[in-house]
Amino acid sequence: MTRKIQEKLSEDWLAVIIGLFIFGLAWGVFFGADLLGWVVTAGIWTSITNTLKPVSPDFAGLPGLVSLLATYLFLLLVMTIGAVLLKANLRKFAVSFTVVFFISYLCWILGAWAYIAATTNQLGKFGISWSLNLTSEAGYIIALLVGLFISNFAPRLARSISEAVRPELYIKAAIVMLGGYLGITAAEQLGLATSVMFRGFCAIIEAYLIYWALVYFIARKYFKFSREWAVPLASGISICGVSAAIATGSAIKARPVVPIMVSSLVVIFAVVELLFLPFLAQKFLANEPMVAGAWMGLAVKTDGAAVASGAITESLILAKAAAEQGINYQPGWIMATTTTVKVFIDVFIAIWAFILAWIWSAKIERRTDETVHLGQIWQRFPKFILGYMATFFVVILVAVLAPEVVGRAKTAMGEANVFRGIFFVMTFFTIGVVSNFRTLWEEGIGKLALVYVICLFGFIIWIGAFISWLFFHGVRPPLAG
Amino acid sequence: MTEPKLADEIKKMEYEPLLPIEKKLIGWSLCLGVVLIVVLVWVSHTFFEVQ
Repeated sequence: MTRKIQEKLSEDWLAVIIGLFIFGLAWGVFFGADLLGWVVTAGIWTSITNTLKPVSPDFAGLPGLVSLLATYLFLLLVMTIGAVLLKANLRKFAVSFTVVFFISYLCWILGAWAYIAATTNQLGKFGISWSLNLTSEAGYIIALLVGLFISNFAPRLARSISEAVRPELYIKAAIVMLGGYLGITAAEQLGLATSVMFRGFCAIIEAYLIYWALVYFIARKYFKFSREWAVPLASGISICGVSAAIATGSAIKARPVVPIMVSSLVVIFAVVELLFLPFLAQKFLANEPMVAGAWMGLAVKTDGAAVASGAITESLILAKAAAEQGINYQPGWIMATTTTVKVFIDVFIAIWAFILAWIWSAKIERRTDETVHLGQIWQRFPKFILGYMATFFVVILVAVLAPEVVGRAKTAMGEANVFRGIFFVMTFFTIGVVSNFRTLWEEGIGKLALVYVICLFGFIIWIGAFISWLFFHGVRPPLAG
Repeated sequence: MTEPKLADEIKKMEYEPLLPIEKKLIGWSLCLGVVLIVVLVWVSHTFFEVQ
Protein backbone atom coordinates (compact mmCIF):
# COMPACT_ATOMS: atom_id res chain seq x y z
CA MET A 1 0.00 0.00 0.00
CA THR A 2 2.73 2.43 1.06
CA ARG A 3 4.66 1.52 -2.07
CA LYS A 4 1.61 2.23 -4.21
CA ILE A 5 1.17 5.62 -2.58
CA GLN A 6 4.86 6.34 -3.04
CA GLU A 7 4.67 5.53 -6.71
CA LYS A 8 1.83 7.95 -7.27
CA LEU A 9 2.75 10.76 -4.94
CA SER A 10 4.45 13.80 -6.36
CA GLU A 11 5.77 16.79 -4.43
CA ASP A 12 2.73 18.61 -5.76
CA TRP A 13 0.25 16.23 -4.13
CA LEU A 14 2.33 16.06 -0.97
CA ALA A 15 2.09 19.84 -0.66
CA VAL A 16 -1.69 19.53 -0.93
CA ILE A 17 -1.77 16.86 1.79
CA ILE A 18 0.45 18.85 4.18
CA GLY A 19 -1.45 22.08 3.55
CA LEU A 20 -4.85 20.45 4.01
CA PHE A 21 -3.68 18.61 7.12
CA ILE A 22 -2.66 21.84 8.86
CA PHE A 23 -5.75 23.59 7.52
CA GLY A 24 -7.87 20.74 8.92
CA LEU A 25 -6.25 20.88 12.35
CA ALA A 26 -6.95 24.61 12.51
CA TRP A 27 -10.70 23.87 12.45
CA GLY A 28 -10.34 22.31 15.88
CA VAL A 29 -11.35 25.67 17.38
CA PHE A 30 -14.87 25.01 16.08
CA PHE A 31 -15.10 21.97 18.31
CA GLY A 32 -13.56 23.54 21.39
CA ALA A 33 -10.11 22.07 20.73
CA ASP A 34 -7.42 24.61 19.98
CA LEU A 35 -5.14 22.12 18.22
CA LEU A 36 -2.66 24.63 16.79
CA GLY A 37 -2.69 27.36 19.44
CA TRP A 38 0.80 26.39 20.62
CA VAL A 39 2.52 27.27 17.33
CA VAL A 40 5.26 29.85 17.81
CA THR A 41 5.12 33.45 16.62
CA ALA A 42 7.86 36.06 16.76
CA GLY A 43 6.76 39.61 17.50
CA ILE A 44 8.85 42.73 16.90
CA TRP A 45 11.37 42.91 19.73
CA THR A 46 13.92 45.08 21.42
CA SER A 47 14.80 42.38 23.94
CA ILE A 48 15.12 38.97 22.35
CA THR A 49 13.76 37.19 25.42
CA ASN A 50 10.33 38.67 24.72
CA THR A 51 9.91 37.87 21.07
CA LEU A 52 8.69 34.26 21.03
CA LYS A 53 5.23 33.29 22.17
CA PRO A 54 2.43 30.90 21.23
CA VAL A 55 -0.15 32.29 18.80
CA SER A 56 -3.20 31.58 20.96
CA PRO A 57 -3.99 33.23 24.32
CA ASP A 58 -5.15 29.74 25.41
CA PHE A 59 -1.46 28.81 25.55
CA ALA A 60 -0.24 32.06 27.12
CA GLY A 61 1.46 30.09 29.90
CA LEU A 62 3.66 28.22 27.47
CA PRO A 63 7.24 29.62 27.36
CA GLY A 64 8.28 30.89 23.93
CA LEU A 65 11.16 28.45 23.59
CA VAL A 66 8.89 25.50 24.36
CA SER A 67 6.47 26.78 21.77
CA LEU A 68 9.35 26.96 19.25
CA LEU A 69 10.46 23.45 20.11
CA ALA A 70 6.90 22.12 19.81
CA THR A 71 6.55 23.80 16.42
CA TYR A 72 9.81 22.27 15.26
CA LEU A 73 8.91 18.76 16.46
CA PHE A 74 5.47 18.95 14.88
CA LEU A 75 6.87 20.07 11.54
CA LEU A 76 9.69 17.57 11.72
CA LEU A 77 7.13 14.79 12.17
CA VAL A 78 4.85 16.02 9.38
CA MET A 79 7.69 16.65 6.95
CA THR A 80 9.43 13.37 7.74
CA ILE A 81 6.24 11.47 6.97
CA GLY A 82 6.19 13.45 3.74
CA ALA A 83 9.80 12.47 3.11
CA VAL A 84 8.86 8.79 3.51
CA LEU A 85 6.22 9.23 0.84
CA LEU A 86 8.75 10.94 -1.43
CA LYS A 87 11.23 8.14 -0.84
CA ALA A 88 13.81 10.56 0.55
CA ASN A 89 16.68 9.43 2.75
CA LEU A 90 14.97 9.72 6.14
CA ARG A 91 17.93 10.26 8.43
CA LYS A 92 19.47 12.75 6.08
CA PHE A 93 16.13 14.48 5.63
CA ALA A 94 15.51 14.81 9.38
CA VAL A 95 18.96 16.31 9.99
CA SER A 96 18.72 18.59 6.97
CA PHE A 97 15.22 19.72 7.87
CA THR A 98 16.39 20.57 11.38
CA VAL A 99 19.10 22.82 9.93
CA VAL A 100 16.68 24.38 7.44
CA PHE A 101 14.05 25.02 10.11
CA PHE A 102 16.33 26.58 12.70
CA ILE A 103 18.36 28.75 10.33
CA SER A 104 15.13 29.94 8.72
CA TYR A 105 13.48 30.69 12.03
CA LEU A 106 16.56 32.46 13.37
CA CYS A 107 16.44 34.70 10.31
CA TRP A 108 12.76 35.31 11.00
CA ILE A 109 13.53 36.30 14.59
CA LEU A 110 16.38 38.56 13.47
CA GLY A 111 14.10 40.21 10.94
CA ALA A 112 11.69 41.05 13.77
CA TRP A 113 14.34 43.10 15.62
CA ALA A 114 12.80 46.52 16.18
CA TYR A 115 15.75 48.34 14.59
CA ILE A 116 15.09 46.39 11.41
CA ALA A 117 11.34 45.85 11.47
CA ALA A 118 9.64 48.72 13.30
CA THR A 119 7.79 51.12 11.04
CA THR A 120 7.97 54.88 11.58
CA ASN A 121 4.72 54.94 13.55
CA GLN A 122 5.99 52.18 15.85
CA LEU A 123 9.26 53.82 16.93
CA GLY A 124 7.74 55.37 20.07
CA LYS A 125 6.10 52.09 21.05
CA PHE A 126 9.49 50.36 21.08
CA GLY A 127 11.36 53.32 22.55
CA ILE A 128 13.83 53.60 19.67
CA SER A 129 14.79 56.62 17.58
CA TRP A 130 15.41 54.92 14.21
CA SER A 131 14.81 51.72 12.30
CA LEU A 132 15.25 50.37 8.80
CA ASN A 133 11.46 50.42 8.52
CA LEU A 134 11.40 47.04 6.78
CA THR A 135 8.51 45.48 8.77
CA SER A 136 8.81 42.00 10.27
CA GLU A 137 8.74 40.49 6.77
CA ALA A 138 12.42 41.57 6.67
CA GLY A 139 13.02 38.07 8.03
CA TYR A 140 12.26 36.74 4.55
CA ILE A 141 14.97 38.89 2.98
CA ILE A 142 17.46 37.89 5.67
CA ALA A 143 16.65 34.20 5.13
CA LEU A 144 17.17 34.64 1.41
CA LEU A 145 20.52 36.38 1.91
CA VAL A 146 21.70 33.74 4.38
CA GLY A 147 20.66 31.02 1.91
CA LEU A 148 22.53 32.80 -0.89
CA PHE A 149 25.60 33.10 1.32
CA ILE A 150 25.53 29.38 2.11
CA SER A 151 25.00 28.42 -1.51
CA ASN A 152 27.82 30.57 -2.85
CA PHE A 153 30.35 30.57 -0.02
CA ALA A 154 29.64 27.35 1.87
CA PRO A 155 28.64 24.95 -0.92
CA ARG A 156 29.52 21.90 1.20
CA LEU A 157 26.96 22.91 3.79
CA ALA A 158 24.45 23.55 0.99
CA ARG A 159 25.06 20.06 -0.39
CA SER A 160 24.84 18.46 3.03
CA ILE A 161 21.32 19.81 3.65
CA SER A 162 20.08 19.31 0.10
CA GLU A 163 17.63 16.57 1.13
CA ALA A 164 15.42 19.17 2.85
CA VAL A 165 16.13 22.03 0.46
CA ARG A 166 12.78 21.88 -1.28
CA PRO A 167 11.53 25.41 -1.96
CA GLU A 168 8.77 24.22 -4.29
CA LEU A 169 7.34 21.87 -1.67
CA TYR A 170 7.40 24.52 1.05
CA ILE A 171 5.82 27.23 -1.06
CA LYS A 172 3.12 24.95 -2.45
CA ALA A 173 2.14 23.76 1.02
CA ALA A 174 2.16 27.40 2.15
CA ILE A 175 -0.09 28.43 -0.73
CA VAL A 176 -2.61 25.73 0.20
CA MET A 177 -2.71 27.13 3.76
CA LEU A 178 -2.81 30.68 2.43
CA GLY A 179 -6.07 29.85 0.64
CA GLY A 180 -7.94 29.67 3.95
CA TYR A 181 -6.51 32.94 5.23
CA LEU A 182 -7.29 34.75 1.99
CA GLY A 183 -10.72 33.09 1.94
CA ILE A 184 -11.69 34.62 5.27
CA THR A 185 -10.33 37.99 4.12
CA ALA A 186 -12.32 37.74 0.88
CA ALA A 187 -15.51 36.54 2.60
CA GLU A 188 -15.91 39.92 4.28
CA GLN A 189 -15.76 41.75 0.93
CA LEU A 190 -17.13 39.30 -1.61
CA GLY A 191 -17.76 41.96 -4.27
CA LEU A 192 -14.18 43.16 -4.11
CA ALA A 193 -12.86 39.59 -4.04
CA THR A 194 -14.84 38.67 -7.17
CA SER A 195 -13.58 41.75 -8.90
CA VAL A 196 -9.97 40.99 -7.93
CA MET A 197 -10.33 37.44 -9.24
CA PHE A 198 -11.82 38.51 -12.55
CA ARG A 199 -9.25 41.25 -13.07
CA GLY A 200 -6.45 38.85 -12.12
CA PHE A 201 -7.76 36.41 -14.71
CA CYS A 202 -7.80 39.15 -17.37
CA ALA A 203 -4.28 40.28 -16.46
CA ILE A 204 -2.80 36.84 -16.93
CA ILE A 205 -4.50 36.26 -20.28
CA GLU A 206 -2.82 39.42 -21.44
CA ALA A 207 0.49 38.44 -19.93
CA TYR A 208 0.49 35.04 -21.64
CA LEU A 209 -0.44 36.34 -25.05
CA ILE A 210 1.94 39.29 -25.08
CA TYR A 211 4.90 38.15 -22.99
CA TRP A 212 5.37 34.70 -24.43
CA ALA A 213 5.12 35.75 -28.05
CA LEU A 214 7.55 38.64 -27.60
CA VAL A 215 10.18 36.63 -25.74
CA TYR A 216 9.90 33.73 -28.16
CA PHE A 217 10.28 36.10 -31.11
CA ILE A 218 13.34 37.84 -29.62
CA ALA A 219 15.00 34.56 -28.65
CA ARG A 220 14.45 33.07 -32.10
CA LYS A 221 14.97 36.09 -34.33
CA TYR A 222 17.76 38.03 -32.64
CA PHE A 223 19.53 35.46 -30.49
CA LYS A 224 19.13 32.60 -32.94
CA PHE A 225 17.99 30.14 -30.31
CA SER A 226 16.60 26.88 -31.62
CA ARG A 227 12.96 26.05 -30.97
CA GLU A 228 13.99 23.54 -28.33
CA TRP A 229 15.64 26.34 -26.34
CA ALA A 230 13.35 29.21 -27.24
CA VAL A 231 10.15 27.57 -25.96
CA PRO A 232 11.27 26.82 -22.38
CA LEU A 233 13.15 30.11 -22.31
CA ALA A 234 10.09 32.10 -23.37
CA SER A 235 7.93 30.24 -20.87
CA GLY A 236 10.47 30.57 -18.07
CA ILE A 237 11.05 34.27 -18.56
CA SER A 238 7.56 35.28 -19.42
CA ILE A 239 5.14 33.04 -17.60
CA CYS A 240 5.94 31.28 -14.41
CA GLY A 241 9.54 30.28 -14.28
CA VAL A 242 10.45 26.74 -13.43
CA SER A 243 7.12 24.95 -13.80
CA ALA A 244 6.31 26.68 -17.09
CA ALA A 245 9.76 25.98 -18.54
CA ILE A 246 9.50 22.31 -17.64
CA ALA A 247 5.87 21.86 -18.73
CA THR A 248 6.25 23.58 -22.08
CA GLY A 249 9.68 22.02 -22.63
CA SER A 250 8.20 18.58 -22.28
CA ALA A 251 5.20 19.61 -24.40
CA ILE A 252 7.47 20.18 -27.40
CA LYS A 253 9.62 17.16 -26.51
CA ALA A 254 12.73 19.20 -25.67
CA ARG A 255 15.54 17.23 -24.04
CA PRO A 256 15.05 17.40 -20.23
CA VAL A 257 18.41 19.12 -19.82
CA VAL A 258 17.15 22.22 -21.64
CA PRO A 259 14.30 23.28 -19.32
CA ILE A 260 16.41 22.32 -16.33
CA MET A 261 19.17 24.68 -17.40
CA VAL A 262 16.65 27.42 -18.12
CA SER A 263 15.10 26.80 -14.70
CA SER A 264 18.37 27.41 -12.88
CA LEU A 265 18.57 30.78 -14.56
CA VAL A 266 14.94 31.53 -13.71
CA VAL A 267 15.57 30.95 -10.00
CA ILE A 268 18.61 33.23 -9.99
CA PHE A 269 16.72 36.08 -11.62
CA ALA A 270 13.70 35.54 -9.40
CA VAL A 271 16.01 36.15 -6.45
CA VAL A 272 17.24 39.38 -8.04
CA GLU A 273 13.65 40.51 -8.65
CA LEU A 274 12.64 39.55 -5.15
CA LEU A 275 15.34 41.74 -3.70
CA PHE A 276 14.39 44.94 -5.44
CA LEU A 277 10.88 44.88 -6.98
CA PRO A 278 8.95 45.07 -3.66
CA PHE A 279 10.93 48.18 -2.74
CA LEU A 280 10.29 49.68 -6.16
CA ALA A 281 6.59 48.94 -5.67
CA GLN A 282 6.63 50.62 -2.27
CA LYS A 283 8.37 53.67 -3.72
CA PHE A 284 6.15 54.19 -6.76
CA LEU A 285 2.91 52.28 -6.17
CA ALA A 286 2.06 52.99 -2.54
CA ASN A 287 -1.06 54.82 -3.77
CA GLU A 288 -2.09 51.85 -5.92
CA PRO A 289 -1.60 48.88 -3.58
CA MET A 290 -3.50 46.35 -5.69
CA VAL A 291 -1.57 47.34 -8.81
CA ALA A 292 1.59 46.61 -6.84
CA GLY A 293 0.24 43.20 -5.78
CA ALA A 294 -0.73 42.21 -9.32
CA TRP A 295 2.61 43.46 -10.60
CA MET A 296 4.49 41.11 -8.27
CA GLY A 297 2.41 38.21 -9.57
CA LEU A 298 3.07 39.11 -13.20
CA ALA A 299 6.70 40.14 -12.98
CA VAL A 300 8.34 37.87 -10.42
CA LYS A 301 8.92 34.34 -11.69
CA THR A 302 8.44 31.09 -9.74
CA ASP A 303 5.58 30.60 -7.29
CA GLY A 304 7.73 30.99 -4.23
CA ALA A 305 9.39 34.23 -5.18
CA ALA A 306 6.20 35.75 -6.55
CA VAL A 307 3.91 35.06 -3.60
CA ALA A 308 6.70 35.94 -1.22
CA SER A 309 7.35 39.21 -2.98
CA GLY A 310 3.62 39.89 -2.67
CA ALA A 311 3.92 39.38 1.08
CA ILE A 312 6.88 41.76 1.35
CA THR A 313 5.24 44.34 -0.92
CA GLU A 314 2.10 44.21 1.20
CA SER A 315 3.89 44.83 4.41
CA LEU A 316 6.06 47.61 2.93
CA ILE A 317 3.08 49.39 1.39
CA LEU A 318 0.85 48.99 4.46
CA ALA A 319 3.64 50.42 6.60
CA LYS A 320 4.19 53.36 4.26
CA ALA A 321 0.47 54.12 3.94
CA ALA A 322 0.07 54.06 7.71
CA ALA A 323 3.14 56.18 8.42
CA GLU A 324 2.80 58.78 5.69
CA GLN A 325 -0.91 59.02 4.96
CA GLY A 326 -2.43 57.68 8.15
CA ILE A 327 -4.31 55.06 6.09
CA ASN A 328 -4.58 51.61 7.62
CA TYR A 329 -5.42 49.13 4.89
CA GLN A 330 -6.69 45.69 5.82
CA PRO A 331 -3.85 43.18 5.51
CA GLY A 332 -4.20 40.28 3.11
CA TRP A 333 -5.55 42.02 0.00
CA ILE A 334 -2.29 42.88 -1.72
CA MET A 335 -0.91 39.40 -1.14
CA ALA A 336 -4.29 37.99 -2.25
CA THR A 337 -3.96 39.87 -5.53
CA THR A 338 -0.46 38.51 -6.11
CA THR A 339 -1.61 35.00 -5.25
CA THR A 340 -4.70 35.21 -7.46
CA VAL A 341 -2.60 36.29 -10.43
CA LYS A 342 -0.05 33.58 -9.74
CA VAL A 343 -2.66 30.85 -9.31
CA PHE A 344 -4.33 31.73 -12.63
CA ILE A 345 -0.90 31.74 -14.27
CA ASP A 346 -0.26 28.25 -12.93
CA VAL A 347 -3.63 27.01 -14.12
CA PHE A 348 -2.91 28.32 -17.59
CA ILE A 349 0.51 26.67 -17.81
CA ALA A 350 -1.23 23.38 -18.47
CA ILE A 351 -3.43 24.91 -21.16
CA TRP A 352 -0.52 26.73 -22.81
CA ALA A 353 1.59 23.57 -22.76
CA PHE A 354 -1.32 21.75 -24.41
CA ILE A 355 -1.60 24.38 -27.15
CA LEU A 356 2.14 24.22 -27.83
CA ALA A 357 2.11 20.42 -27.79
CA TRP A 358 -0.59 20.45 -30.44
CA ILE A 359 1.14 23.05 -32.64
CA TRP A 360 4.48 21.23 -32.42
CA SER A 361 2.96 17.83 -33.01
CA ALA A 362 0.61 18.74 -35.83
CA LYS A 363 2.26 21.70 -37.54
CA ILE A 364 5.96 21.96 -36.80
CA GLU A 365 7.33 18.46 -36.37
CA ARG A 366 4.31 16.81 -37.96
CA ARG A 367 4.45 13.75 -35.73
CA THR A 368 1.98 11.26 -37.11
CA ASP A 369 2.69 8.57 -34.54
CA GLU A 370 1.10 10.39 -31.63
CA THR A 371 -1.97 12.38 -30.76
CA VAL A 372 -2.24 15.22 -28.32
CA HIS A 373 -5.17 14.61 -26.02
CA LEU A 374 -6.95 16.77 -23.47
CA GLY A 375 -5.83 14.47 -20.65
CA GLN A 376 -2.42 16.11 -20.96
CA ILE A 377 -3.90 19.29 -19.51
CA TRP A 378 -4.74 17.37 -16.35
CA GLN A 379 -1.33 15.66 -16.30
CA ARG A 380 0.43 19.02 -16.35
CA PHE A 381 -2.06 20.80 -14.09
CA PRO A 382 -0.29 21.95 -10.90
CA LYS A 383 -2.22 19.97 -8.30
CA PHE A 384 -1.47 22.24 -5.35
CA ILE A 385 -3.80 24.78 -6.97
CA LEU A 386 -6.64 22.38 -6.11
CA GLY A 387 -5.61 22.55 -2.47
CA TYR A 388 -5.52 26.35 -2.61
CA MET A 389 -8.96 26.49 -4.21
CA ALA A 390 -10.36 24.01 -1.70
CA THR A 391 -9.21 25.97 1.36
CA PHE A 392 -10.20 29.29 -0.21
CA PHE A 393 -13.73 28.27 -1.17
CA VAL A 394 -14.44 26.14 1.91
CA VAL A 395 -13.77 29.15 4.13
CA ILE A 396 -15.82 31.49 1.95
CA LEU A 397 -18.68 28.99 1.93
CA VAL A 398 -18.61 28.61 5.71
CA ALA A 399 -18.49 32.38 6.19
CA VAL A 400 -21.39 32.97 3.81
CA LEU A 401 -23.60 30.14 5.10
CA ALA A 402 -22.88 30.72 8.78
CA PRO A 403 -21.83 34.36 9.33
CA GLU A 404 -21.99 33.84 13.10
CA VAL A 405 -18.87 31.63 12.99
CA VAL A 406 -16.68 34.10 11.10
CA GLY A 407 -14.89 35.06 14.33
CA ARG A 408 -13.89 31.46 15.02
CA ALA A 409 -12.96 30.92 11.37
CA LYS A 410 -10.66 33.96 11.63
CA THR A 411 -8.96 32.47 14.69
CA ALA A 412 -8.56 29.13 12.94
CA MET A 413 -7.15 30.64 9.75
CA GLY A 414 -4.92 32.94 11.79
CA GLU A 415 -3.32 29.88 13.40
CA ALA A 416 -2.88 28.09 10.08
CA ASN A 417 -1.46 31.32 8.71
CA VAL A 418 1.36 31.22 11.26
CA PHE A 419 2.43 27.91 9.72
CA ARG A 420 2.14 29.56 6.32
CA GLY A 421 4.64 32.19 7.51
CA ILE A 422 7.06 29.50 8.67
CA PHE A 423 6.80 27.69 5.33
CA PHE A 424 7.38 31.02 3.59
CA VAL A 425 10.57 31.73 5.50
CA MET A 426 11.84 28.20 4.78
CA THR A 427 11.01 28.85 1.11
CA PHE A 428 13.10 32.01 1.10
CA PHE A 429 16.02 30.33 2.79
CA THR A 430 15.97 27.32 0.47
CA ILE A 431 15.55 29.48 -2.66
CA GLY A 432 18.79 31.13 -1.56
CA VAL A 433 20.45 27.76 -1.01
CA VAL A 434 19.64 26.55 -4.53
CA SER A 435 20.79 29.79 -6.15
CA ASN A 436 24.43 29.22 -6.90
CA PHE A 437 25.53 32.20 -8.99
CA ARG A 438 29.08 30.93 -9.12
CA THR A 439 28.30 27.54 -10.68
CA LEU A 440 26.01 29.08 -13.23
CA TRP A 441 28.63 31.66 -14.16
CA GLU A 442 31.29 28.94 -14.51
CA GLU A 443 28.93 26.97 -16.76
CA GLY A 444 28.76 29.89 -19.17
CA ILE A 445 25.31 31.42 -18.85
CA GLY A 446 26.34 34.41 -21.03
CA LYS A 447 23.99 34.28 -24.01
CA LEU A 448 21.09 32.79 -22.09
CA ALA A 449 21.43 35.36 -19.33
CA LEU A 450 21.63 38.18 -21.86
CA VAL A 451 18.32 37.32 -23.48
CA TYR A 452 16.86 36.90 -20.01
CA VAL A 453 18.08 40.30 -18.83
CA ILE A 454 16.96 42.07 -22.00
CA CYS A 455 13.49 40.56 -21.94
CA LEU A 456 12.89 40.67 -18.21
CA PHE A 457 14.19 44.13 -17.48
CA GLY A 458 13.59 45.49 -20.96
CA PHE A 459 9.87 44.89 -21.19
CA ILE A 460 8.38 42.09 -19.08
CA ILE A 461 8.57 43.98 -15.82
CA TRP A 462 7.22 47.16 -17.41
CA ILE A 463 4.48 45.54 -19.48
CA GLY A 464 3.53 43.69 -16.29
CA ALA A 465 3.29 47.02 -14.48
CA PHE A 466 1.18 48.45 -17.30
CA ILE A 467 -1.21 45.48 -17.43
CA SER A 468 -1.52 45.55 -13.63
CA TRP A 469 -2.30 49.24 -13.75
CA LEU A 470 -4.90 48.74 -16.50
CA PHE A 471 -6.83 46.20 -14.51
CA PHE A 472 -6.23 47.25 -10.92
CA HIS A 473 -5.83 51.01 -10.80
CA GLY A 474 -8.32 52.60 -8.47
CA VAL A 475 -8.97 49.28 -6.70
CA ARG A 476 -7.95 49.64 -3.07
CA PRO A 477 -8.01 47.24 -0.13
CA PRO A 478 -10.70 47.91 2.47
CA LEU A 479 -9.66 49.92 5.50
CA ALA A 480 -8.75 47.98 8.62
CA GLY A 481 -11.27 47.91 11.41
CA MET B 1 29.12 10.36 -16.89
CA THR B 2 29.74 14.13 -16.71
CA GLU B 3 26.80 16.50 -16.63
CA PRO B 4 26.35 18.58 -19.78
CA LYS B 5 27.54 22.17 -19.48
CA LEU B 6 25.28 25.01 -20.42
CA ALA B 7 27.88 26.71 -22.61
CA ASP B 8 28.55 23.47 -24.53
CA GLU B 9 24.85 22.85 -25.06
CA ILE B 10 24.36 26.37 -26.40
CA LYS B 11 27.37 26.01 -28.73
CA LYS B 12 25.89 22.79 -30.10
CA MET B 13 22.66 24.53 -30.98
CA GLU B 14 21.91 24.60 -34.71
CA TYR B 15 20.33 27.52 -36.52
CA GLU B 16 16.66 27.01 -37.34
CA PRO B 17 14.96 29.73 -39.37
CA LEU B 18 11.57 30.99 -38.17
CA LEU B 19 8.88 28.91 -39.84
CA PRO B 20 5.69 30.52 -41.15
CA ILE B 21 3.70 28.67 -38.48
CA GLU B 22 5.89 30.19 -35.76
CA LYS B 23 5.40 33.66 -37.24
CA LYS B 24 1.68 32.94 -37.28
CA LEU B 25 1.74 31.86 -33.63
CA ILE B 26 3.61 35.01 -32.60
CA GLY B 27 1.43 37.28 -34.72
CA TRP B 28 -1.88 35.79 -33.59
CA SER B 29 -0.81 35.78 -29.99
CA LEU B 30 0.17 39.47 -30.03
CA CYS B 31 -2.88 40.59 -32.02
CA LEU B 32 -5.22 38.64 -29.78
CA GLY B 33 -3.45 40.13 -26.76
CA VAL B 34 -3.93 43.68 -27.98
CA VAL B 35 -7.59 43.16 -28.96
CA LEU B 36 -8.37 41.43 -25.69
CA ILE B 37 -6.81 44.25 -23.67
CA VAL B 38 -9.54 46.56 -24.93
CA VAL B 39 -12.32 44.00 -24.44
CA LEU B 40 -11.24 42.81 -21.00
CA VAL B 41 -10.57 46.29 -19.63
CA TRP B 42 -14.05 47.29 -20.77
CA VAL B 43 -15.64 44.16 -19.25
CA SER B 44 -13.83 44.51 -15.93
CA HIS B 45 -14.63 48.20 -15.61
CA THR B 46 -18.25 47.70 -16.66
CA PHE B 47 -19.27 44.47 -14.96
CA PHE B 48 -16.74 44.24 -12.14
CA GLU B 49 -16.75 47.84 -10.99
CA VAL B 50 -15.17 48.38 -7.60
CA GLN B 51 -16.94 50.79 -5.25
